[in-house]
Amino acid sequence: MTQTTVMAGTHTSRYRAMTWLWRAIAIVFGAVTIFPVYWMVNSAFEPNSEITSLTPSFFPVHFTLHNFVSAVNQTSGTGKAYFWTDARNSLVVVTSAVLITVVLGFLAAAAISRFRLRGAAVFLVLILVVQMVPGTALIIPTFLLLNNLHLTNNYLGLILVYAAATLPFTIWVLRGFVRGVPIELEEAGQVDGLTRLGAFIRILLPLVLPGLIAAGIFAFITAWNDFLVVDVIMQSNNHQTLPVWLYSFTTNTGTNYAGLMAGCTMMALPVVIFFLFVQRKIVSGFTAGSVKG
Amino acid sequence: MAAPTVPKLGPGTTRRDTSPAPTHSRGVKPRSWRRSARRQLFPILLILPAVGLLGFLLGYPIGRLFATSFQNLGLLQLFSHKVQWDGLANYRALFSSGDLGTSVVQTVVFVLACVGLTMLIGTGVALLLGRIGTVLRLVVSVCMLFAWAMPTSAAAIVWTWLFSSQYGVVNYMLSSLGFHYGSHNWFGSGISAYAIITANIVWGAVPFVALTMYSAFMLVPRDLFEAAAIDGASPVVVFRRVTMPIVRPIFVLLTVLSIIWDANVFNQVWYLTQGNAQLLNVIPLGVWQYIEAFSSQQYGLGAATAVIMILLLVAVTGYYIRIMVRTGEVSGKVRA
Repeated sequence: MTQTTVMAGTHTSRYRAMTWLWRAIAIVFGAVTIFPVYWMVNSAFEPNSEITSLTPSFFPVHFTLHNFVSAVNQTSGTGKAYFWTDARNSLVVVTSAVLITVVLGFLAAAAISRFRLRGAAVFLVLILVVQMVPGTALIIPTFLLLNNLHLTNNYLGLILVYAAATLPFTIWVLRGFVRGVPIELEEAGQVDGLTRLGAFIRILLPLVLPGLIAAGIFAFITAWNDFLVVDVIMQSNNHQTLPVWLYSFTTNTGTNYAGLMAGCTMMALPVVIFFLFVQRKIVSGFTAGSVKG
Repeated sequence: MAAPTVPKLGPGTTRRDTSPAPTHSRGVKPRSWRRSARRQLFPILLILPAVGLLGFLLGYPIGRLFATSFQNLGLLQLFSHKVQWDGLANYRALFSSGDLGTSVVQTVVFVLACVGLTMLIGTGVALLLGRIGTVLRLVVSVCMLFAWAMPTSAAAIVWTWLFSSQYGVVNYMLSSLGFHYGSHNWFGSGISAYAIITANIVWGAVPFVALTMYSAFMLVPRDLFEAAAIDGASPVVVFRRVTMPIVRPIFVLLTVLSIIWDANVFNQVWYLTQGNAQLLNVIPLGVWQYIEAFSSQQYGLGAATAVIMILLLVAVTGYYIRIMVRTGEVSGKVRA
């Protein structure tokens, strides 16, 4: 926008042609970007006969909810349908993990951004380096650790693993938000008789709330997605989550793409809707502390 | 890696402390030490729960991973709880097998392609967003949000459907355009499978980079552009000399995060090859170590591969992390 205003002075035909070129590129890019999502939803509402047709239909002409019904009622090897169990587990585990990561992340971000804490820089570098460790490599040590503590097949174990896995990035994002709030506001609160901690909770917390929600959504998506950890540390059928359920579609004879797309839609939709509400905050929190200006 | 030189951190002073900075050179009096310790206590209490959880469920497993890489750990040792130290045997086996070199090279090329494309397209789209109208910008942003929010597992499954050989819509569209892609098997060769995995990763990663870079561009003060325009600078010069220096910290941070995330992709490779990663003639290290550990149950060997990958990543990103430390991006300092 800034660039356009500057260049608006030169109203040549070449400039106008360029604007149309940019618009065309933007439209093509947008279409390519949204297409896989569109195709997922489209396939989910089509009957199997349309899915397995050599000329795919770009709109669900014979609109049906059958795929969703069959996806929900999909039975596993034991003959029981696990969709509702897994959905409830996903929701409970992921929400708890997000709450923990956001609270701990806020306290840590406040400690790092508001005090000259000894070793804070080392801590920040460390939590960046920690993210370089492939998650797959930590599964076995994590399993052994939780097994010793009798925390496998236990919601608490999975909740703590997800909270720990998402905490580093949460701290990074929240740090940007905390730095964006002038410290003078808290100082004013302290002059009015608040304690340091009181100032954090009564003044800083409401101001960085958008950041907390944004970081929370980010953590939510990461934990919501996980297949490997839950597959290894939750062997019991009653303790598994939606990604495991989704995977059960492919283990049957062949791949039931219609049901699979309905399953993907059900798994992705809540995340996408949450996300649309808060994305702006994620980006602004991320850039807040990072650009000098 | 630990203890990089961070000159900005004096011990225990809060920013709102108006008293003269404590002398932390030689003659430290016990009293001022105690005062500084007390001042450190509150932030330490704040950060302690986070450090505790991270130490418990990340620090300890990482330590154990390093230890395992020096052990002979298979199913037998796992169930009998016998620790069998093996020295450098795992590393020796890896280095002598000859596959390691190819896998490292392949991983580097793969990550470079993913990160390069992501940053290039992301920055390009960010610039593009500034050159189109408000309505179109909103539409494109929403399209990107959908791609960004898609869970990677679901997205990878959707992509296998898009590129499915028999009923896939991509083959259909290419055929309608006159190319002979009737029932082309995209996952038949390593190169083409890699291309699709790369495309899938870039598709999912561009929105974050583009939207972040766009809001970073917005933070550049407008008068700088006006001044540059008055001086007759061309758009390219303005971008290189005005915009880029200001947004560089965020660009570097995004690059480092992209390198880390892309080197560790698992879901995309796993789901897109449908658990049959062997069809990629050479497998990226992150997935390779998983196969070694789980399919062949050589946990020690898998751990050693993971350690090599971590060292590789630290070496690659170390330079950028040092830049971030030096520019104050990483320090705990409050910027006035």
